[in-house]
Amino acid sequence: MQCEEQQAEKNMLDVSDLVFGYSDEDTLKGVNITIKPGEFVALMGPNGSGKTTMMRCINKILKIKSGSVKIDEEDILRLKMEDIAKICTTVPADTPLDFALTVRDFVSLGRAPYVNTLWWETDEDEKIVDQAMWDLGITRYENRRLHELSSGERARVLLAKGVVQTPKLMLVDEPSAHLDIKYKVQVMEILRDLTNKGLTVLIASHDINLLTRFCDKIMLLSKGRIIDYGLPKDVVTKESIREVFDIEVELVECNGIVYILPTGSTIIEQ
Amino acid sequence: MEEVASANTSGAKKERKGVKAVRWRMLLIVILGSIALVLLFTLSMTIGPYDISFTEAMEQIWQIIITGGKPEDMSGKIIYNLRIPRSIAVMLVGAGLAIAGAVMQAMIHNPLVDPYVTGVSSGASFGVILFTLGASYIGSMSVYMFAPIGAIIGAVAAFMITMLVAEGAGGKAMSYVLGGVIVAAGLSSGTTLIMSLNAEKIHSITAWMFGSFSNIEWQDIYVIAIPIILILIIILFEARKLNVMLLGESQAQYLGINSRQYKRIMLMLSAVLTALCVAYCGIIGFVGLVVPHLCRMVVGGDHRVLIPSSIVVGAVVLMVADIISKSGPIGELPIGAITSVVGVPFFIYLMLKEGKRYAM
Repeated sequence: MQCEEQQAEKNMLDVSDLVFGYSDEDTLKGVNITIKPGEFVALMGPNGSGKTTMMRCINKILKIKSGSVKIDEEDILRLKMEDIAKICTTVPADTPLDFALTVRDFVSLGRAPYVNTLWWETDEDEKIVDQAMWDLGITRYENRRLHELSSGERARVLLAKGVVQTPKLMLVDEPSAHLDIKYKVQVMEILRDLTNKGLTVLIASHDINLLTRFCDKIMLLSKGRIIDYGLPKDVVTKESIREVFDIEVELVECNGIVYILPTGSTIIEQ
Repeated sequence: MEEVASANTSGAKKERKGVKAVRWRMLLIVILGSIALVLLFTLSMTIGPYDISFTEAMEQIWQIIITGGKPEDMSGKIIYNLRIPRSIAVMLVGAGLAIAGAVMQAMIHNPLVDPYVTGVSSGASFGVILFTLGASYIGSMSVYMFAPIGAIIGAVAAFMITMLVAEGAGGKAMSYVLGGVIVAAGLSSGTTLIMSLNAEKIHSITAWMFGSFSNIEWQDIYVIAIPIILILIIILFEARKLNVMLLGESQAQYLGINSRQYKRIMLMLSAVLTALCVAYCGIIGFVGLVVPHLCRMVVGGDHRVLIPSSIVVGAVVLMVADIISKSGPIGELPIGAITSVVGVPFFIYLMLKEGKRYAM
């Protein structure tokens, strides 16, 4: 509680009136978000609603048209890419092609923004890598090649790489798209655990029931606008899901958490 | 709590051992490779059309050292003026092509590319022909300067065309190979046409086209050695960033690298490196493909161990190829043909092994 009071005024992420478009048509049409430190926030919305685009605006990969993005109270326009990499990490959906990199090589890459030695990582870098691998239970795969791991293990490797970047804000894009249910829950538990330790996480995902179970807040994105942002039970309602996803659902409450059951059917439009 | 902590450190220690092992392996390759280079270099002094025995070669090398490069005997002169510069060129070109290949593979994110496959070598050789021919028409004597300039312009131009074609076609692993093959085919036909039309102007070039070190002199060494060594040193110091680039363009950006610009710079650097190798020695295929892969099998993909290993192994591989080339029963065998004989089966092996994984 004390912690919350102290950090009350500070925002980890502050997006205001963000406008972005790949062409003349805007993909994001004036987005406003604030996220407090240590919050676990979900970004929910149908395919093509601009979730990934928004993340790529926050980490300055894409150049915004207007509005502002502040991470850790700093305007991203004033930050260099490597400074952003020290505050904000992005965890992608899957590992890239394997070029004979071992798990450890791969995780160590997360230290790249900090490295100022010419050649090897410092002992401190190594310690951070050891710790992250241990925490995520991948130490025993140390010298294995990435493609030899299962997707659940690879998801943990990706998270470990994000963790060794020692960020304050973690953007996670569709982390569990091809994981089975156990590993989907595991990824969410890991992220929940990280936020409990003070990390701020913004996650984009389609697993609504996992988001309502684990996240502090849910943000509903539709056609480039945030149409609702608040506690899961307030945001995930029959009406909001119908409006955004165009499908009827039933709500079920279990241990104080709201889950959805997709009972409706869809129409294939011509 | 304590139990966890101790388990943690023991896990960490075990981990470090794995990392150190790779570094030792790299060191071992570099040391063994350097010893091999010294031996191959000495052996290379004895091989050639003029018979020089091993003991004589040793004596002459000693003479060259103590006289500061002014041997008196015929065999000493052959060693000093022909065989030493040739061997130096072979080692530099071997290292250069291997590193150009390693960098291209990391930047294009494709295990099947090298300077030869992407058409860069053909571009460089086309440039050399065009520029030396132009120089001979103008009547300029400074062919030595025209060859590398032509090679660099040709290499960069060919590479840009290949990249444009490949990325336009979807940027799949195979697109780069196909794009490169097409560009190389077009350029070799261009080269053939130009040569047929100017047959009387160019005689020694036919041999050069298939890769030959037989015309290398000290003069050439001065021109190519410094830039090749310089580029190799730059790339050595970029090894870390090369690792990050293995994540792909967008993920490298997440780690703070301006990856699009960086990729362009590194690819240009590797094209220039290729051009310098081709400028005096012609097209030598597959060294850039085979060597980095061989090294990856032993030391893994970390460029901080891969680049030093590839430099040494590249030099060794081409020295062996050159010795084979010089030992031909009737005159010299083209070294490019020798590397291709080994390189083609390796390329097929890679295609079969990696083809599915890289979604071609």
